[in-house]
Amino acid sequence: MNGSVVTYTLEHCVRCMKCIKACPTSALRMSSKNRIVVDDNRCINCGNCIRSCHNRGLLAHGSTLADIENYEYTVCMVPGALISHCSSLEEAEDLFHAIRILGFDEVVDITEYSGVALKEAQLLAGSSDDMTYISSFCPVINRLIVSKYQGLLDSLLPINYESEIAARQIRKRLKGKNVGIFNLCECEAKLSIAKYPYQHMEFECDHSLALADIFPLIRKNMHQGRDEVIFSKKGLQMCNPVRIVKDDDYLIADGFDKVCSVLDMAEFGLLNTFRLLILYPCFNGCIGGHMLWGNSFLMQNNIDALTGSKSKQSAKLDADDVYVDQLIKVNKDTRTFLERTKFFSNVNKQLEMLPGYDCSACGMQTCRIMAEAIVNGEKTLDDCRVLAALKEKSNENQ
Amino acid sequence: MGKGWIVFMANVLHKEYKVERDDYASAGMVSSDIKQSLNAIGISPKVLRKIAVASYESEINMLIHAYGGDVTMDVDDDGTIRLVFADPGPGIPDLEKAMTPGFSTANEKARAMGFGAGMGIPNIMRVADHFDIKTGKDGTTLTLTFQVPES
Repeated sequence: MNGSVVTYTLEHCVRCMKCIKACPTSALRMSSKNRIVVDDNRCINCGNCIRSCHNRGLLAHGSTLADIENYEYTVCMVPGALISHCSSLEEAEDLFHAIRILGFDEVVDITEYSGVALKEAQLLAGSSDDMTYISSFCPVINRLIVSKYQGLLDSLLPINYESEIAARQIRKRLKGKNVGIFNLCECEAKLSIAKYPYQHMEFECDHSLALADIFPLIRKNMHQGRDEVIFSKKGLQMCNPVRIVKDDDYLIADGFDKVCSVLDMAEFGLLNTFRLLILYPCFNGCIGGHMLWGNSFLMQNNIDALTGSKSKQSAKLDADDVYVDQLIKVNKDTRTFLERTKFFSNVNKQLEMLPGYDCSACGMQTCRIMAEAIVNGEKTLDDCRVLAALKEKSNENQ
Repeated sequence: MGKGWIVFMANVLHKEYKVERDDYASAGMVSSDIKQSLNAIGISPKVLRKIAVASYESEINMLIHAYGGDVTMDVDDDGTIRLVFADPGPGIPDLEKAMTPGFSTANEKARAMGFGAGMGIPNIMRVADHFDIKTGKDGTTLTLTFQVPES
């Protein structure tokens, strides 16, 4: 997959192993030097490890504002989730001004493009009689499906990320200029949808900024002026599971565990009567994004206040600008079935030797992951602390 | 095969499960485990999806109609996956009817929980590569075989 955005700070780490236990894809381990190592191929950027850490030992960062200097003209994209944080249009105008005077030439709200993504998803789902589509708005869901629910890969909507749709339009409009497009992200996962800082050159957006890093600066700039803005209602609704205009054959789920159980049911073929599954791994959808500081329940009510007096329609775009051929890369397993089964039975053999407590004392999430590491030659049975303790005890008794 | 080679077909994985009578709360646990085990081996997603659908349907059938039973899974290293669902239940009175889409004898309790749409056996037959069912007064044995395409 596309790599992890999680960074580790050694001096904050108390080696409690909570993050290792929290990972849904077993991507974290403790190295022999007592450091947390994140496996780039397994990590889905869900941020569960970041929240499980009580010492801020794991964080996710974006680019810095210093990168503005590299461009002739800079644009900052503001997501609907951050806009929903404002309780009135005046507050939103204040926020947009505060962001612009950080050094950007232009601040763009992307709700009109999120609206397009949602509308296209509904159109596609409505035109199908037997397909159950899964929303592709969240990169975590897409990676989760690649990692654990490959049987559902064909169900993913071939619709690009909202920030990418927006970035493409901005680039078109400002053709000929050296434009730098910055995306302000409300969660860890969206940091990965830009060229920098995580080196994903396939994306249209140049830099992703972590709201958690930028917010203190924005706050200083508040109450200094207003930039006029109008939002799209559909776009704002898209970042919240409660406010999406629901159809009988849509299923909307939020929260990581619930999303996993929905995907399980979909894989068993139990959701065939639904045409569209809209899934948010964050509780309360994108407005529950982990870098937003407000109460996501209150923010649900702001959507009407922001679009009540005036609102704009979703943008009208060509299909080429909305749809993508391949949303997410899938690394093919090149081993033959025989090799795979051989590896699997070797792992099982090692697993029988291990105590099976899944205690993580060796630094691996479970005994099965440990057994895999032993078969791969990264660890040996002697690295198991329980076995070592038992051995020591029996030596003493002799 | 056939050129004097001796082919040893080795069993890679053998698992046994029990489905308890009327334990609706655990419905789907066996098929979840089957799915996870096969995911750990890394079989192709298309086959995995088929097995997930078939094993879930079979498990639920056992729960609703047959007061539970035993499930075994065998994976051979030539890519054959065999699932056997054996139950000591009352058997299927009219097998031909049971194989007809939409025909259901599920009781109210089961239907209230969203099971029993009459698509169980037809769905299983649709996805399984090989389907065998033996039914009588002392029980039903369903054997499903799937073949993983060699890559």
